[in-house]
Amino acid sequence: MPSDGNGPIIIPDAAQGDELLQQFGMEEHPQGGFHGLLEVIPTKADYVLDLIRANSLWPLLSGLSCCAIEMMSTATSVNDIDRFGMFPFRASPRQADVLIVAGTLTTKMAGPLVRLWEQMPEPKWCVAMGTCTTSGGRFKRSYSVVQGVDRVMPVDVYVPGCPPRPEGLIYGMMKLHELVKQRRGEWRTYVDRGPQRTRWEGDVR
Amino acid sequence: MTKIDPDIRIPDPIELDRIEEQRLRSVAGLTPAQAIAGGEYAGFDQVGIPDRPPQTEREREVYTLDEGEMLINMGPQHPSTHGVMRLVVKVRGEVVVDIDPVLGYLHRGIEKLCENATYTTVLTYVDPMDYLSTMHNEHAPAIAFEKLYGIRAPKRAEYIRALVVELNRVFSHGLMMGFLALDMGGLTPILYSFINRDEIVDMLSAISGQRMLFNFFRVGGVNWDTNDEFLSRLGTWRSHVMKNIEMNEWMITDNEIFRARTINMGTLSGKQAIDLGVTGPNLRASGVPFDVRKAHPYSIYNELEFDVITQESGDSYARYLQRIAEIKQSINLIDQIVDKMPHGPVQAQVPGIIRPKPGRAYGAVESPRGLYSVYAISDGGPTPYRFRMRDPSFITLQAMPVLMPGRLVADTMAIMASLDPVMGGVDK
Amino acid sequence: MAHLRRSRPAADALGRRRSLSAPAAAGSLVRILTERLGNDLHDLWTDEDTVEFQIDGSRNVDVLRTLRDDPDLDFFMLADEAAVDYGPGAHFEVVYHLYSDKHPAWVRVRARVDRSDPRIPTITNLWKGAEFHEREAYDMMGIIFEGNRDLRRIYMSPDYRSFPQRKDFVLPDDAADSAAAGVNPLERPETWDLSRFRDAPAVTFPPSSERPDAPAEGAEGGETLADKSRPR
Ligand code: SF4
Repeated sequence: MPSDGNGPIIIPDAAQGDELLQQFGMEEHPQGGFHGLLEVIPTKADYVLDLIRANSLWPLLSGLSCCAIEMMSTATSVNDIDRFGMFPFRASPRQADVLIVAGTLTTKMAGPLVRLWEQMPEPKWCVAMGTCTTSGGRFKRSYSVVQGVDRVMPVDVYVPGCPPRPEGLIYGMMKLHELVKQRRGEWRTYVDRGPQRTRWEGDVR
Repeated sequence: MTKIDPDIRIPDPIELDRIEEQRLRSVAGLTPAQAIAGGEYAGFDQVGIPDRPPQTEREREVYTLDEGEMLINMGPQHPSTHGVMRLVVKVRGEVVVDIDPVLGYLHRGIEKLCENATYTTVLTYVDPMDYLSTMHNEHAPAIAFEKLYGIRAPKRAEYIRALVVELNRVFSHGLMMGFLALDMGGLTPILYSFINRDEIVDMLSAISGQRMLFNFFRVGGVNWDTNDEFLSRLGTWRSHVMKNIEMNEWMITDNEIFRARTINMGTLSGKQAIDLGVTGPNLRASGVPFDVRKAHPYSIYNELEFDVITQESGDSYARYLQRIAEIKQSINLIDQIVDKMPHGPVQAQVPGIIRPKPGRAYGAVESPRGLYSVYAISDGGPTPYRFRMRDPSFITLQAMPVLMPGRLVADTMAIMASLDPVMGGVDK
Repeated sequence: MAHLRRSRPAADALGRRRSLSAPAAAGSLVRILTERLGNDLHDLWTDEDTVEFQIDGSRNVDVLRTLRDDPDLDFFMLADEAAVDYGPGAHFEVVYHLYSDKHPAWVRVRARVDRSDPRIPTITNLWKGAEFHEREAYDMMGIIFEGNRDLRRIYMSPDYRSFPQRKDFVLPDDAADSAAAGVNPLERPETWDLSRFRDAPAVTFPPSSERPDAPAEGAEGGETLADKSRPR
């Protein structure tokens, strides 16, 4: 397991009884892995890169409905999400790390939204903001509303509320930071995590 | 459909491409290329011509390309379409020839849900309609249901209603100023608008308990009486709101770029506006003094002193000035309401599930975007038999194919922002 | 609270002093209406601020033109155009609300439309702004407005087949046998591949012989669904 960042530096990939490491004075750590006097720490680049990423997640400027107004309120002066390195709301999915789905997802919009999500480069994260996106919310019974955005794309953090207060969204973002740090070096698994969208008839790539 | 202004001459890019290609081919000794059929260039944003017979006359008109024209797609995800609207724009070079709004990306079936909900619950479903004027969304159904049920809200409740509704109008118009500047590339005014908006929304959450979708109105009254926190926030806000608005105005109104991009842009005459069903500030900016608060006074508006403000020119700049004048008017109305507010109960005696007698009622209010009305039919049951909402921004969008042709693509966004549509209301 | 109690600034500093409502009694409106419209007028009824009457569906353009152009009536603004479904076996209604600054009342005109052959002339020649109202009514109820030059679906995608606001379209969780039961809405998301609409059914309404007062799609054996969504 990767460490939480405060304990000893643990190298999980080193094989048990690695002679090379023992030559450098590394010992087995009770929590698993190795630690020692080495000044240069052999590690994966993604461990470090993801720590950096976590502190500068750029969201995609995409609002679907009412929740988007609260998202904007979070981004402007009073609540100022800039404090968390999230200032530039990018207009292009190619430059964004986080998709904040803010608002009701309708069946007509589902295709374009999934397309946006697929256009974002890995690693990427999705935050479902509001009850509409977590479960359908007050429109759960409607004939044209997707009952939760997790039916069409994987979701990392759910922020409940109708709409969530800006503080709620900021709390969700802090949770996302924790999550990115926790899973650092393992983002490749994001590609395989479910639930995955199935290919629909008539869908163009 | 308005044809493109023949005076505008812009080099046709496709023609230039073709000339350049033929030149290169002749240099390389190749045979001249075949003429490129319209729409063959598979650009990222280009829309294909539908591979089916057009369904209507208008669709044939939009999707038939003349020489040198092409179709460009904007949306449904686009930073300045004010939500999830899609525009199919037919352009010649950079000049818009025709525009076809494609709606429904936010259609949530609110009317159908309301027909399956009790009268009290309907007032929660209408909140997310036009999400910048939530209080107005609840006001019209409350009026219609009170007519159906045959009760009236107490005097104090009507005053509180008028108070919150005017507060809502102030922040909605304030946001319009910010969005209009944002669509022309100015980021600062939106920050001032949101400071004002957050202050008002916090104030309204002190009285209603919810921050954005307030759900404050009830059939026969309002949910809560005013409390100390609300009043103290109101006082603080009132003491410096004019400074905030004037700061914003000072940044926008005389800005040279802003004036160049709004004056004489998207001019709508009063006759045209009435024909297209445009209402609210957009109609008044064209010189027609129609305001539901005066035309069919509801609530307590006949006890307040105010005039219908109009502008002369009907262009984007007039629509912007109209909003500012209405903000000041609303603040004046708020002062009057606070002065005259009587004491008393805020809720009439109404059972939890009301069953009005069979009948029909029409309730109309002046929302920040225009005439917002509700037509409700009761069949004696606990739910409305038919619940119909007329949303102003939905109807206002019809002005786009009239205003846009002959303008540059970049100006379409500025003109649209001056019309101030909200997609939650457009798509219901 | 002292600052809230300041004296009011003069109201007329803010705009031109121009009031719209001319005082007129609803009684005079009713008299003028009966004079001008004569036989077209059925079931006249008045409310505290509304004058309401019914007309034949086929006469709507004439009646509305009289209301708009007659100098004594002068209902220059179309406030609303709504469609109402009175359920299977009954009829549709198209309801117009008009505004005039000469009269202190809204006028509500109810035009009846046959449910098995829902056709009514368009009023886009009188008010161009009726176009979106009519497209919405077509999309939600399936009423054909003859002469409207843009009668496409406006909210649902072009290949959607039901008319959601008809009374026999029941919400999914209300009745298992409703039109939408068992249909995963995600099976048909809208994509930008317009070519797949080539085989989509045309937007024209099927001839009434094939679809006599048809229940919503998916109902078996043509049985008419009662509206189960309304608890009594
Ligand atoms: S959760 Fe509430 S505020 Fe958010 S989109 Fe849905 S209805 Fe609107």
